[in-house]
Amino acid sequence: MTTRSLQGLLLTRLLQLVAVVLIVGTLSFALMYFLPGDPALRIAAGRYGPDMMDNALSDMVRVELGLDRPLLVRFASWMGDLLRFDLGHSLVSGAPVVDEIALQLGYTLWLAAIAFVLALIIGPTIGAIAGLFPGSVFDRVTLVLSIAFRAVPPFVLAVLFMVIFGVTLRWFPTAGFGGWQNLVLPSVTLALGLAAMSSRVMRDAMAQVSQAPYFTHARYKGLSDPTVVRRHGLRNASLPVVTYLGLQMVYLVEGVVVVESIFAFPGIGHALVHAVIARDVPMVQGTALAMGGLFVLLNSLIDLACLRLDPRLRRMPS
Amino acid sequence: MKTKSFANLPTDVAADMMDGSRSVFWTPARITGAFILVCLLLFAVLGPVFISTDPLHQNYNAVLVGPGVDGYLLGTDHFGRSMVSRLAHGAQLSFAMAFVTAISAAVPGILLGVIAAARGGMVERGLVALSDIILALPGLLLVLLLLAFAPGEFGPLYLGLALYLWVEFFRVARIETARVITSPSVEATRLLGFSRLYVFTRIIVPALTGPMATLFAFAMGSAIIAVSTLSAIHVGLRPPTPELGAMIVELVPYYSEAPLQILMPAIGIFLLVLGLQLMAGRKS
Amino acid sequence: MTYELRIENLTVRTADDTVLVSDVSLVCGPSNPICLIGETGSGKSLVMHAIMGSLPDSLSCDGKILLDGTDILPLSPQQRRELWGRKFALLPQEPWLSLDPTMRVGAQVAELYTDLRGIGRKQANQMAADELASVGLAGSFDAYPFELSGGMAQRVSIAMAHAAQSPIMLADEPTKGLDRALCDVVADLLRGEVAAGRTLMVITHDLELAEKVGGTVGVMRKGRLLELGTADQVLRNPSHDYSRELVAALPANWPVRTPARAKKSDDIVVAADSIGKSFGRNTLFSDVDVAIAKGQVTIILGPSGSGKSTLGNILLKLIKPDAGHVSWGDDLPAMKYQKIYQDPPSAFIAGQTLGRAFADLRKLHNIDGARINAMLDQLGLDRGLLARRPDAISGGELQRFAIARSLLLDPVMLFADEATSRLDPVSQKRVIDLLCAQVRDRGLALLLVTHDPDLAEHIADHIIRISDGDHSSLAAKAA
Repeated sequence: MTTRSLQGLLLTRLLQLVAVVLIVGTLSFALMYFLPGDPALRIAAGRYGPDMMDNALSDMVRVELGLDRPLLVRFASWMGDLLRFDLGHSLVSGAPVVDEIALQLGYTLWLAAIAFVLALIIGPTIGAIAGLFPGSVFDRVTLVLSIAFRAVPPFVLAVLFMVIFGVTLRWFPTAGFGGWQNLVLPSVTLALGLAAMSSRVMRDAMAQVSQAPYFTHARYKGLSDPTVVRRHGLRNASLPVVTYLGLQMVYLVEGVVVVESIFAFPGIGHALVHAVIARDVPMVQGTALAMGGLFVLLNSLIDLACLRLDPRLRRMPS
Repeated sequence: MKTKSFANLPTDVAADMMDGSRSVFWTPARITGAFILVCLLLFAVLGPVFISTDPLHQNYNAVLVGPGVDGYLLGTDHFGRSMVSRLAHGAQLSFAMAFVTAISAAVPGILLGVIAAARGGMVERGLVALSDIILALPGLLLVLLLLAFAPGEFGPLYLGLALYLWVEFFRVARIETARVITSPSVEATRLLGFSRLYVFTRIIVPALTGPMATLFAFAMGSAIIAVSTLSAIHVGLRPPTPELGAMIVELVPYYSEAPLQILMPAIGIFLLVLGLQLMAGRKS
Repeated sequence: MTYELRIENLTVRTADDTVLVSDVSLVCGPSNPICLIGETGSGKSLVMHAIMGSLPDSLSCDGKILLDGTDILPLSPQQRRELWGRKFALLPQEPWLSLDPTMRVGAQVAELYTDLRGIGRKQANQMAADELASVGLAGSFDAYPFELSGGMAQRVSIAMAHAAQSPIMLADEPTKGLDRALCDVVADLLRGEVAAGRTLMVITHDLELAEKVGGTVGVMRKGRLLELGTADQVLRNPSHDYSRELVAALPANWPVRTPARAKKSDDIVVAADSIGKSFGRNTLFSDVDVAIAKGQVTIILGPSGSGKSTLGNILLKLIKPDAGHVSWGDDLPAMKYQKIYQDPPSAFIAGQTLGRAFADLRKLHNIDGARINAMLDQLGLDRGLLARRPDAISGGELQRFAIARSLLLDPVMLFADEATSRLDPVSQKRVIDLLCAQVRDRGLALLLVTHDPDLAEHIADHIIRISDGDHSSLAAKAA
């Protein structure tokens, strides 16, 4: 077992954040300079906005950046801007990237939070019941459902929900954002996918815990079944689930990108995909950084939850 | 809750009641998965042979007709293109892309994993750091960033997926190899005078086969999901390529007129991924 | 209430009518503890779980289990469960696994006061702390189970039994996985419970524990109670053949091996010169000199974690020492130095049949097939077992296959690393006898690592004692 302390853990996540910044920054830099077309024009538009653009400005940029300067120097100045949160302007809308992201991030956080909470309510609950009665009808039915849902990519589920609940039944709007109704289909899509996986992890964990010597012995001690499950079962079974939630953050962040795009939900993921299509490099960089940062943040929160739940991680001598 | 399983009891009791049974490879789940995959593979390979209709051929006299109408086995899409032909070509494309991607991820991943575990030291630390860097971002984000260089093209899509998927092969191969190498069986085998080659072929390779096959099936499933997803959000393969994910999204506006058509590629992806996941078994 | 437990003609069957426990009758009470002795699969655990009422549903019981004259066997499962904690306390085997790993020890004791006896939370905590202190665990209230040693965990489970005020204690292999010194502590604890007037039943394969607990001893094999009598009678003067074999297999009862002939300097196969080894800051040993000669049994004796296996591996040149030098006689090839492992299956290639393993060995070293057969016969191994895989063979047999495999290479030295600690006493004696015969007949140098002083005293020519991070070098065995 690896020994983890709070500092070590935060350091790991900090390194992850550095890696995110490096990957996103480097690829964006490469995009800016190596895409076909005049990089100076593109950089000038990125700096001052496309509306302000004229040849004089782009010439100024050309001279100032010195496109003949060594690549490394240009790269350093690019990363310098990034670290100062100077993310430039969108090549499409002309608005500062930071402003656009600030707006979109709010929508995305709502969507991710609601989906995550829904998934937590559905998945582990189903899993705990199935795990306490392995082999029961409930266990088998939820197993089949979980296998089926795991084989459906989020975008297929999103499209199916859209045509069923949006187009045919007209219960919920299918695109844009006008109110809470717009959150329902995207968040349920994500939550079902997440729950399909976490329910099985919880099921296996619960089944395993209920076979563990400490669980059996708690019954031999004379405690009633509900007490044993509540006091000695659930917390121990939730440990692997919380660890697994860390892995699920990949699914959540990827799912946000996909589901937002399908439902034209005005969040970061949708903006990222649009920026990729429009080759709006400053927006690609900004949105990818925001998504990457969100990913690191979620991972850190899960780490803290693990540390909180499992005394073995806290007290392990490092 | 009644005491149903033997595992509740000390080994002593269980020892009286069970005889050790080895785990079987062909579980009902695997058989089902294999059956689904063989059917889909036959459809993908033989479909285009028997159905000569070009998946790109448009027939404006038969737009969105239902299955069986006008000689179209599964009907047509909004351009009057044969659904069955497009589905067969789509399945072929998915299979091929997934296989090529998974192979490109597996070969370097497994080799580097074994090398890292066997060599240790700087080599191992360097490779682990590299894999950690790649895992810093969710895979789809990495692929999206690469796709920004050339949206709609096969190259960056393939590169991005392989670049992300090799890490899982590397990690598992490394851990598994390290576990085996430090086991008494390797030490005992070497003490008896057997060569390193014998250890590799008789101990390490058999130990890796199962987990790697599982990972391979999962990697193919991931690749199929990723390609169809990216195509569906207009950054992957582009129309008129008969790609299953793109087909679904293309047909959404015509859902009220032809609801079945949208379901066909959706079922195709579902069965492909389901078959692969069932074949993969469980990740241990 | 005297809490006398009387079992009459207890029989346990599976659903398909296989008899697992047959016609067992015994009695125990407050001043008369009972120990059931037997190996894995002897059915002793089934007897205990039949008393507890915790057998799987698929098993059925006949006979009577009388608690103060009342048969509890006909009671409903729910009524049986009412007795758990309140009448019967189970002392689990490997108690460190039976404590909730994520809950503080104090809370796990306190919940017995609140849930079984209806005492308020605050008072329960106080009582739990007092109870823990009374079993010698003052200050452990806030500890988590992983912070306790094996002996401390055993005390916690006794504190739990006290907290529940259970008059009857069922101890399930209470010394399993513990060092010898701790076994004695556990025996003392159990005797204390008997002295305090509790009814005690112990299930064990540890004859020394049975002797220390005293009272009645029953020997079980294949579901039958072969012999029942006082501890003294059964352990000193057993009447049944199997009991005799069991008692004879105890290292303390082994005949002392005839010492080897005097050491000659040219017989030295391994010489180690002031070697030392540390892991991090923990010095395992330093400045050890070892000389191992042909035809002799050298034993490294020490508690677990003392570095005795590491010392053996250094002598076998599998690990480099931090200081000092190891030399092999006449620079023999590495193959002449072989090793036998603690966990027999882990030393074989999983999934490979033994036949394949021996065929590959034969091909590699051009060994005559007849010699292999002769070797297997000599070690009492059925050739039919060659078709099996390592996981389908008993530990004792597999260990003998491992010895056969090594002996085929004509080693000058064999390093047996706790090679018999996972075997039952009868298998252990058989393997040790085989090894000693090789020492005698072919002049093998045997290096044996063990934690069992009795075993060491009875067969060693030389004993190297290692105690935690310390050593006393080469102490010649007292004649």
